[in-house]
Amino acid sequence: MLRVLLAGGALACTPLAVLAQAPTAAAAVPTPVPTAAAAEPTPAPTAAPAAPTPAPMVGPVLASAADAAPSPERPKSASPSAPMPVPQASAPSGPPRGAQAVREFLGLGPAPDAAAAKRGAPIFASNCAFCHGPQARGAEGPSLIYSELVLKDVHGATIADFLKAGRPEKGMPSFATLSDEQRKDVAEFLHQQIEDVANRGTYEIKNIVLGDPKKGASYVAAHCLGCHSITGDLKGLGEKWRPADLQRNWIMPPRTAALAITATVRDSRRANDSQRTGDGQRAPQGQSAVKGQPTGDGQPTPDGQHTWQGRVQQIDDFRVSLVNDSGQLTVIERNPGITVELHDPLAPHVAMIGNLADPDMINVTAYLETLK
Amino acid sequence: MKRSAAKATLIGLGALAALVGLGGRARANELDMATLGKPPTTSWPTFNGDYTGNRFSTLKQINTSNVSSLQLQWSYRITEVRAQRGAPVPVIKATPLLVNGILYFTIPNNVYAVDARTGVKLWTHSWVDEGGHLVGNRGLGMYRNWLYFLGPDDWVICVDSNTGKERWRKQIADARLQYFTTTAPLVVKNHVLVGVGGDAMDIRGFLVSLDPETGDIQWKWWTTPGAGEPGIETWPSVDAAMHGGGGTWLPGTYDPDLNLIYWGTGNTNPVFAGQGRKGANLYTTSIVALNPDTGKLAWHFQVSPHDTHDWDNTESPVLIDANIDGKDGKPRKLLAQAARNGWFVVLDRANGKKVVSTPYVKLNWAKGTDKLGQPIPDPAIQPTVAGSMTIISATNWQSPSYSRDTGLFYVNSVEGFGIYYLLDTNPKPSGYGGTVNLLGTTTRVLKALDVRTGKVRWQHEYPNLNGAPATLGPGLLSTAGNLVFTGDDQGNLIAYSADEGRILWHFRAEAPESNGPITYLQDDRQWLVMAAGDTLYAYTLAPPALNRATQ
Repeated sequence: MLRVLLAGGALACTPLAVLAQAPTAAAAVPTPVPTAAAAEPTPAPTAAPAAPTPAPMVGPVLASAADAAPSPERPKSASPSAPMPVPQASAPSGPPRGAQAVREFLGLGPAPDAAAAKRGAPIFASNCAFCHGPQARGAEGPSLIYSELVLKDVHGATIADFLKAGRPEKGMPSFATLSDEQRKDVAEFLHQQIEDVANRGTYEIKNIVLGDPKKGASYVAAHCLGCHSITGDLKGLGEKWRPADLQRNWIMPPRTAALAITATVRDSRRANDSQRTGDGQRAPQGQSAVKGQPTGDGQPTPDGQHTWQGRVQQIDDFRVSLVNDSGQLTVIERNPGITVELHDPLAPHVAMIGNLADPDMINVTAYLETLK
Repeated sequence: MKRSAAKATLIGLGALAALVGLGGRARANELDMATLGKPPTTSWPTFNGDYTGNRFSTLKQINTSNVSSLQLQWSYRITEVRAQRGAPVPVIKATPLLVNGILYFTIPNNVYAVDARTGVKLWTHSWVDEGGHLVGNRGLGMYRNWLYFLGPDDWVICVDSNTGKERWRKQIADARLQYFTTTAPLVVKNHVLVGVGGDAMDIRGFLVSLDPETGDIQWKWWTTPGAGEPGIETWPSVDAAMHGGGGTWLPGTYDPDLNLIYWGTGNTNPVFAGQGRKGANLYTTSIVALNPDTGKLAWHFQVSPHDTHDWDNTESPVLIDANIDGKDGKPRKLLAQAARNGWFVVLDRANGKKVVSTPYVKLNWAKGTDKLGQPIPDPAIQPTVAGSMTIISATNWQSPSYSRDTGLFYVNSVEGFGIYYLLDTNPKPSGYGGTVNLLGTTTRVLKALDVRTGKVRWQHEYPNLNGAPATLGPGLLSTAGNLVFTGDDQGNLIAYSADEGRILWHFRAEAPESNGPITYLQDDRQWLVMAAGDTLYAYTLAPPALNRATQ
């Protein structure tokens, strides 16, 4: 729908004064490079936040960190757009899968003993919460989740003895009447409070459906039904995704193969004697030259141009990789004379990002959630 | 007695001979302290090369006419370090120091000394951490023949520049309280300046000055005010200020004439949950000017008042001397920053008064500026339980650059939006307290901003279906050869013309450009050194162009 015209090597250089320039000066023509795996269709890159259930993290996925971990090895499906692992709707009880990875990354120390923390909860509630608050965040007494004694404690080794003695000079009684086991359970409860706060791998986005479905329905009627249908493609949307995923995905749907960005690449020159260039030490000029006529959709058009069409596997300033209908990958160097025209079927959705008002977003989510 | 003296001399000569025998390096690699703060030509002795943060080189042997003939001279790949805790592959985010022909750089827990002519490793130093983030390490500081680097768990380690042997170590914070350290220490006079990071348990940020000889603390400046101190009125309680965040995790800059250091401070804590800390929350998400001898605050400018979006304001405060208003033809002492919240400011660096204050990316969170020129955050655009859409971080730790020739400020920005959720609705929230879901893909855009107006003179949008990674990204270097060096997120190291943004050279590396590129003159050749992932790449002009350039 939206067409982005790219001249020469430049999606780029949109200098307010300077015209787009071709990149390096190499005078080669594009070269289709059939890959060894040409028989196999290449899976579409998941450019968009897609999977409602992100794959288990290999490394931490932490967009909210001041500056989080390197991501190149991150599996695509654990999309960079999902800054933290969202547990499956049907996930069994227990910490989400990303929790341990985030714990290690943050250096949070040993994981709390969840069973002991559960035993400690009522003990804390009846003995400690009055002064320290129900979640130990402080009331009359200080917050315990910021306490150095608590943060440095490992599985109650220090806290249990501390509780036994108390701190009478500051009005903190002794808890010698509790068993050592119970005092350790209280310690684990405190560690669980810290875990819930500090380990963002345990976070879950929930209870977000707060909008007005009627207003949402009006918005959808006014803005969406040109392309979509309540009884057609929108049917059952509320069951398809968890609310946080629904909210993200209706604005920017997952980039499935059918919604892939495609491109038309044109070469106004002859397509012979091409060379791949610009690969530095790995592929010095000339060494990796691949010669040959473009095949398939790369045949010359009557006006002497060569044209390629296909799904864009990837594009940078120097090359564009297209996969055609039969799964063949063609890599075209973006040399002078090459133009790339991108077609994004999700362009109307892209246009919503940054322009949609929060109330509309929230109301539409509330409405779509009703489509069961 | 004579005998023993003679013996001692002989031992001394023997030691000297042994030293001479080691790769022909006869003397200790001592930094000439007089080079600190000078334009970096034959050395690169601080994180930013000099104290300005310009990352601008006056060298022009490599220039627009010959940059296409850059040739790789060597590369150094880190092979012995594999996945680190939380970091699947080593990534060099450090800007190397270059002193007397030796490059010093780091990854978390490891320091490397590499011969700058050959790429041969001279020594390494390893640290075994007990906590902290291994998210990155920005490099080292140097004082005479001592190097300073940080373990992730809040240790400052001083090592001998000749051998990598430890001289002393000093712990400045506790990793169990969720402080961590990744920055490159900045040496100013006899001060080693070290900052901290931390979000998970609501730290109180600080900057500390250590004695370069002993590691003793000279002063400590807390980012948030204590009881009765100026600024405490921007917090609902002293308790909130004591856990208000404000990390100092990137190196600052320094003006010797004004005797002020400039530092960006990190996001406010709890990160996304602001309901327990109503107010502007000074001096988090600000630019602060401090006296380097006392740690006393001279002025502040808050670029992101009451931050609730994790918009650390740690980006480099770049010192610019420019005739910005064209009045009397005299250059003014200015400071420019492209902030993580998408805002660009130019300030008078003597007093922090606003000169330019304007967004440099499209954003929706601001309702103009206040009388100081600080942006006013729209209270409607804050993380909520139901979600609120605004920009993601417009830049991060990647080094910007300012060219004294073009008057342009270069920043690799990121354009994109996310939905911010409030997760911790407790009146006393803690930790991150929320999160963000990205919408679609982000776009990396190299922008050249006119410092007189903040307007974009030219920009380059990188085509990339996968978007810009949130936490990696290329740094920038500009040179008098009318060049800007950086990279994209797909492994292309790229040179642009500084004035127009034309692509003039690229090199496909094994990983995306990951640090701040540096350049220096060595053996009459101008070298360019850039890191990409686990590898350092060193270039000079290829012989024919080199011969022409050196004639």
